[in-house]
Amino acid sequence: MKKSRAEAGDWAKYLFVLPALLFMLAFIGYPIIYNIILSLRDVSVMTFQNAKELVGLRNYVQLFTESNGILNLSILNTFFYTAVCLIFQFSIGFAFAIFFALRFRYASFLRGLAMIAWMVPMTITGLMFKYMLSPSGGLINEILMALHLVKEPVEWLINGKTAMWGIIITNIWVGIPFNMILLATGITTIPESVYESANIDGANFLQKFFCITVPMIRPAIMSVLTLGFIYTFKVFDLVFIMTNGGPVNATEVLSTLAYRMSFVEFNFSKGATVSNVLFIILFFVGLFYLRLIRQNEEVM
Amino acid sequence: MKSPAWRLSDQHREWLLNGIAIAICAVFLFPIYWLIVTSLKTEAEIFRTPPTLFPTAVQFKNYIVESSGGFSIYRSFFNSMLISLSTMVISMALSTPAAYGMARYNMSFKKTMLLLFLVTQMMPPTLILTPLFIIFKQARVLNTYLAPIIADCTIAIPFSVLTLRTYFLSIPKELEESARIDGCNKFVAFMRIMIPVSYPGVIVSAAFSFLFAWGNLIYPLTYLTNQAMRPLTAGIYNFIIAEYGISWNRVMAFGVLTVLPVIVIFISLQKYLVGGLTTGTVKG
Repeated sequence: MKKSRAEAGDWAKYLFVLPALLFMLAFIGYPIIYNIILSLRDVSVMTFQNAKELVGLRNYVQLFTESNGILNLSILNTFFYTAVCLIFQFSIGFAFAIFFALRFRYASFLRGLAMIAWMVPMTITGLMFKYMLSPSGGLINEILMALHLVKEPVEWLINGKTAMWGIIITNIWVGIPFNMILLATGITTIPESVYESANIDGANFLQKFFCITVPMIRPAIMSVLTLGFIYTFKVFDLVFIMTNGGPVNATEVLSTLAYRMSFVEFNFSKGATVSNVLFIILFFVGLFYLRLIRQNEEVM
Repeated sequence: MKSPAWRLSDQHREWLLNGIAIAICAVFLFPIYWLIVTSLKTEAEIFRTPPTLFPTAVQFKNYIVESSGGFSIYRSFFNSMLISLSTMVISMALSTPAAYGMARYNMSFKKTMLLLFLVTQMMPPTLILTPLFIIFKQARVLNTYLAPIIADCTIAIPFSVLTLRTYFLSIPKELEESARIDGCNKFVAFMRIMIPVSYPGVIVSAAFSFLFAWGNLIYPLTYLTNQAMRPLTAGIYNFIIAEYGISWNRVMAFGVLTVLPVIVIFISLQKYLVGGLTTGTVKG
């Protein structure tokens, strides 16, 4: 009894998607639900095997209302870090994108070369900059002192006031090529004729920038900003390698706090609670992003 | 965007713009140069002020790491390769057919599935860290290579599915339809026609899958407590905190070994990577 070809083809197409889908459900879908359950219980290394009792929102309430709340501080730190990084990496990336959109021989090759910075594993980037920012023999201090901008070496990552800036400088370096490449791709799709007719009308550089370039690549700008937000907001490696949240929580962000709760203090439920807070914030930004791409292109 | 009021001959303009571009790249990529140079310096030269731009005496001693506490730089390199290549193979085996299916066929819940892949791309790796730890512990895969491989695949698969789907969509349907008429079934047509035709997409997804796993720190750090099994990213971290004071030249030698495959991949795939990054992230 052979099934007709059409009939066989009907379920066969699901076979293509099934393996990937099952994998994702098992190793992402289930863990997300598990994480929610964990945050509603009280699971630590002590109660590892049989912590079935639900404690409701107790973990959330505790973390949010703690005096000198580390969670609130981490949320503020994460937002501060993300906002400052975004402003600088976007504006510098945009400037570079405009420059590299000029037509010259090695433009696209040299622009692509910057991508190496983006591809270097964050662990190594963190270490490179940790070395360059160090007070003894660190290159950045040597340059600042040679230029007479500072009198003595700045203890970038050791001082609570500057530690976050040290990490921010590092991440701006990582973020520039990402912004540059995505924006440049947008810029090169603008037809030259638009600029030519603007030239005839006597438009200057700024007018062309704000009246042609920006509006025409608006979708790319919005994507770069929301994606940049999402990538920057979930920072872990850089902070972990460069300061590990210190000195005295000055650089603690949500990811490092979640890690510390779970794998240093072995309070799995607290860790799950913190990562859920991180997830909820990213979820809303993600919704915004989905609405964006649905408006701009017919992906769905 | 060209405008200069001052007129330059075309050749001078070329020289000037290329010159500026090279200068920007040189300053921008300087940290990588510094990484390499430091790895070749002696302990004494590292703390010399002002710092030397070129090592006065090049030495490769930092690359020969005496394995203190059962820890070897080359074992780490091997571990990284093993984890990254396995992640790449599993991710490609699962995501290529999925991307094809979602590009070519109408099916129920297709929108939901696409949404699922898009959303997972935005998730922080810390989110599934704790639950996977408990699941892995109960399934006794903690402290096996499988643990970081599975976790890394959760990053690589959604990226690959979305990138490849865009590639498959751009290939005319008629190509496989003619193969189907010649008697190939769906799967044979997919393997023989679609994969070879869309190789730039396949290569880019494979390269990124490899790189995601290669650069990941948090999963191997958490799931592999056995030092000897740790890849470079987790191993190097371990190495910094274990030593009394950081010996930067040795750390940087470690860093060079970690960056090496990245540069090799960049050089061999440069023309595909930029396109892959844009399709994978912006177009979804």
